Amino acid sequence: MPQIDHAIELTDYRRQDFSVCLGCKICASVCTVNDITGNTNPQDMLQRIFLGKDISADEPLVRSCTGCYRCTGACPWEIRIPDVIRALRHELNVESPFEKAFKGSVSLFGRVYEPYVLMKAVPFLIRGGYMQHVTRWMEYMGFHLPHRVKRT
Amino acid sequence: MEYGYYPGCSLTGSARKLDKGIRQIFARAGHTMKEIPDWNCCGAFEYGDRKELVNFSKKNLEKARGHFHDIVTPCPACYKNLKEADEAYEFGVIHPLDVFDESFFQWTKQARDLAGQVFTPYYGCILLRPKETAIRNKTIMEETIVRFGGEVAGEAAKDRCCGGNQIFIDKSVTEKLSRIILEKSRGTLVVFCPLCHMALKTFSGERKVIYFTDLLLYIMGEKGAL
Repeated sequence: MPQIDHAIELTDYRRQDFSVCLGCKICASVCTVNDITGNTNPQDMLQRIFLGKDISADEPLVRSCTGCYRCTGACPWEIRIPDVIRALRHELNVESPFEKAFKGSVSLFGRVYEPYVLMKAVPFLIRGGYMQHVTRWMEYMGFHLPHRVKRT
Repeated sequence: MEYGYYPGCSLTGSARKLDKGIRQIFARAGHTMKEIPDWNCCGAFEYGDRKELVNFSKKNLEKARGHFHDIVTPCPACYKNLKEADEAYEFGVIHPLDVFDESFFQWTKQARDLAGQVFTPYYGCILLRPKETAIRNKTIMEETIVRFGGEVAGEAAKDRCCGGNQIFIDKSVTEKLSRIILEKSRGTLVVFCPLCHMALKTFSGERKVIYFTDLLLYIMGEKGAL
């Protein structure tokens, strides 16, 4: 439970704010994650957070939320569920090597320098079968040297 | 008019074409754009700590203070973050799609039309949601395509999610979601978001995926725009 409370502190919400949820499940009816796995219900997760129950890092919503805000757009209270899930991902250390490289670049250069991020994530890209797409990406990816990336 | 310009990280690399397009179109419309000096990353979607995320954009606004009031931000993620960070409404954070209004087209010199071509406008998520940061005219791409004689298709695809945010987390998620959009659309896909462009282009095969700026430049007569 303290972990969930920690995660909520990272958002603009307090746990009791979720008591307004009407239980209409319209968020579940529009959730993009249901196009991938099915049976995803953000309302159920909000209820569990409100009740102080644990959320697992393996849940499809935590793993695969795309941050599309379809739930927020449909919700009568416009609850920003993707913000809550992003905070949960942060607290539960759900972070891909690419995300780590992204943050590494931001703290090093102040910006995302794509060649740096890709180099850092090479083992992950090979394992994940991304190399087959590289020629496609090269068609439109611009390249510039890091000296144009400013440190802040 | 003079605008401040916040290109964001992807527009210096993988979405350089969008950056070039925006600069060209604004110059043709007689606007000047100056980059916010020494801007930093907006944090995109990668930071779970809301304060940390907002602070990135507050830093950018700090750098713009005294130089610019209106700031143009083409990347939807940067646009949303910057607009949310401007809590006191001190700046005008503007998405280019809101600049391409009726008066813009009155001054646009048309060199070509889109007759006989089919397009699916694809807005993706962040330009349309949440409503506080959404663009004003949510049918601007359709209106433009019709205005210049093109056929609009794929209404069911326009506000779905391509899963671009997950492309470097779990590729299979992005592939599945992007393929739904490719199936529900017809003709050339017209996008504005660098992430949507990357996700859809990765899985589009022979189908064309272009930026909306490419379409405008084509109409204006630019060589090799499409």
